[in-house]
Amino acid sequence: MRLRMTALLAALSMTALIAGGCANKEAVKTEEPAVATVKSDTTKPIKQTYDKAEGSDASAQKQIAAADSSANAANDQSGQSDRAVAGVAAFETVYFDFDKSDLRQDARDILSKNAGIMMKSKTALKLKIEGHCDERGSAEYNLALGERRAKSAMQYLITLGVQPDRLSFISYGKEKPAVPGSTEEAMAKNRRAEFMIDK
Amino acid sequence: MRKTFYILLFLVAFPAALPALAGNIEAVEVTAPGNRQLKLAVETPRSLNTSPNATSAREMSAVIAFDMNMSGTISAETREQLPAATPVPLAGTSYLPWSTAGFDLLVRGEYSITGDNLTVEFRLFDVLNQKMMTSKRYLGKIKDLRYFAHSFADEIMLFVTGEKGCFTTHVAYVSNQSGNKEIVIMNWDGYNQLQLTRNGSINLNPDFSPDGRELLFTSYKRGNPDLYKRALSNTVEVPVSNRKGLNITGSWSPDSSKIALTLSKDGNSEIYTLAKDGSRPVRLTVNSAIEVSPAWSPDGARIAFVSDRLGKPQIFIMNADGGNVRRLTTAGSYNVNPRWSPKGDKIAYARMSGGGFQIFTINSDGTGDTQLTSAGSSENPAWSPDGRFITFSSKRGGAEAIYVMRSDGSGQTRVSQGKGKTTQPAWSSH
Repeated sequence: MRLRMTALLAALSMTALIAGGCANKEAVKTEEPAVATVKSDTTKPIKQTYDKAEGSDASAQKQIAAADSSANAANDQSGQSDRAVAGVAAFETVYFDFDKSDLRQDARDILSKNAGIMMKSKTALKLKIEGHCDERGSAEYNLALGERRAKSAMQYLITLGVQPDRLSFISYGKEKPAVPGSTEEAMAKNRRAEFMIDK
Repeated sequence: MRKTFYILLFLVAFPAALPALAGNIEAVEVTAPGNRQLKLAVETPRSLNTSPNATSAREMSAVIAFDMNMSGTISAETREQLPAATPVPLAGTSYLPWSTAGFDLLVRGEYSITGDNLTVEFRLFDVLNQKMMTSKRYLGKIKDLRYFAHSFADEIMLFVTGEKGCFTTHVAYVSNQSGNKEIVIMNWDGYNQLQLTRNGSINLNPDFSPDGRELLFTSYKRGNPDLYKRALSNTVEVPVSNRKGLNITGSWSPDSSKIALTLSKDGNSEIYTLAKDGSRPVRLTVNSAIEVSPAWSPDGARIAFVSDRLGKPQIFIMNADGGNVRRLTTAGSYNVNPRWSPKGDKIAYARMSGGGFQIFTINSDGTGDTQLTSAGSSENPAWSPDGRFITFSSKRGGAEAIYVMRSDGSGQTRVSQGKGKTTQPAWSSH
């Protein structure tokens, strides 16, 4: 039953993607200016943004994703240049609830976009999906939880039609937080799956 | 049976002392309040050279006093040598001033330093019965002086409790002081830190081999979280398991024939055992839940582990072949990091409470669940080889550091000295 629902959803998303190719491009473009404004955001609490993100407010979610990708750009120069080489914008990060690896609605929306980028890319782009956790919980348990997050994101991309051999996963548990700090906001940004272009 | 043996050993060692000290043997086992602790004076060792090194001498007596005070069985104080017209050799020790000052035991020492060579002799005296109990002579380098003092502290524990101390053992842990999470080793009291791994990657969960000569750990050095081992005596990191997915929380079986660990090669994190070279995986758990952190019972017959099969991580126990799984912890909604005590009676673990973790111990039959820490957030407990202490990482104000406490939770003391965040301590064997 659940499987059939997923398949239906996948089919719907695909239709949306095919029909709305332009909209998708636009979503990718909006990322550029967002990065510039986000630097200040990461330094002050963004409670409001987070609260919205818990729902399916796409713009708030995008802001978090942008904040996240700017943080990544800072500590992962090579990832940044990979993206430039591939000629695609950064894949958006998806977020999870505490101690959960099932996909929220906002995560499914983002994964649909990410799947779209994958399926439209002319090069045989490969993705490594990194599963991450917030600082709560044991490092050991979080390694397993991070892997579940990466795999549930990967499984959804496959459901949406991405070829399995273009996807791989790794868990970093709580070892590589996107943002420092122990606030709810920081932890919400750290419970995530990131999409890295795999050479 | 074991206790009888200790008392016998005690009798053989110094029968005359028995009437005076017998009551305190119980205090060692129980550490109940009301039982008076033995009082020990540690005199600053006397130099046999023309050029004494007061700093070295005081460091040695301070080490012995620290170890004894941490043990909880003896209350120790460092004391300067008694003023005398001529220095009193070890053989001519007079007891009266010490018994008058209320001491039961006395450590005196003599040392000489030539170049960077150090020779030191310590003696333990029973002040009440006016007898020498034990004497040890150490020859080595000046840099060994703390080791010599710890070694004599082990000897004092043997004479007072019938069980050798663990003061010459090591603690390995994960530190990010270098900028990356690397494995570092130090003496149990935090001195002589030495960074072992230098691969610039993420290194996690060190575990000592039963002989104390090798470490198992997980490293991302080749991209995937793989299990490696290395001898303390060299720098070669040997891959043990690099199967697809997680190769984490490796734990040597007590007879060192096997390694228990978590693998996710079959699609989900499960507990397996491997032969010690990493071959022949045997799957022990079959469950769609997360299973991590296997911890062997000291007889190797059972394994404690963490599973969220009931929704949240809890500690379970199974036979070493995977049979007879039963839940151990029933209180608390998130329990992790099990470590079996060397005597087999207890399991230490960490429970999430409030925003952090606290260390608990529970009997292996599930009774006697006891909270040991309450300050800050503490996790990753590991027992000393004699079961007297538990080391753990704790965040109390500053960055996470390594602490040691007695197994009843008393005497919580920060031991790691470095900067940066230090976590996941493992305690070596004797």
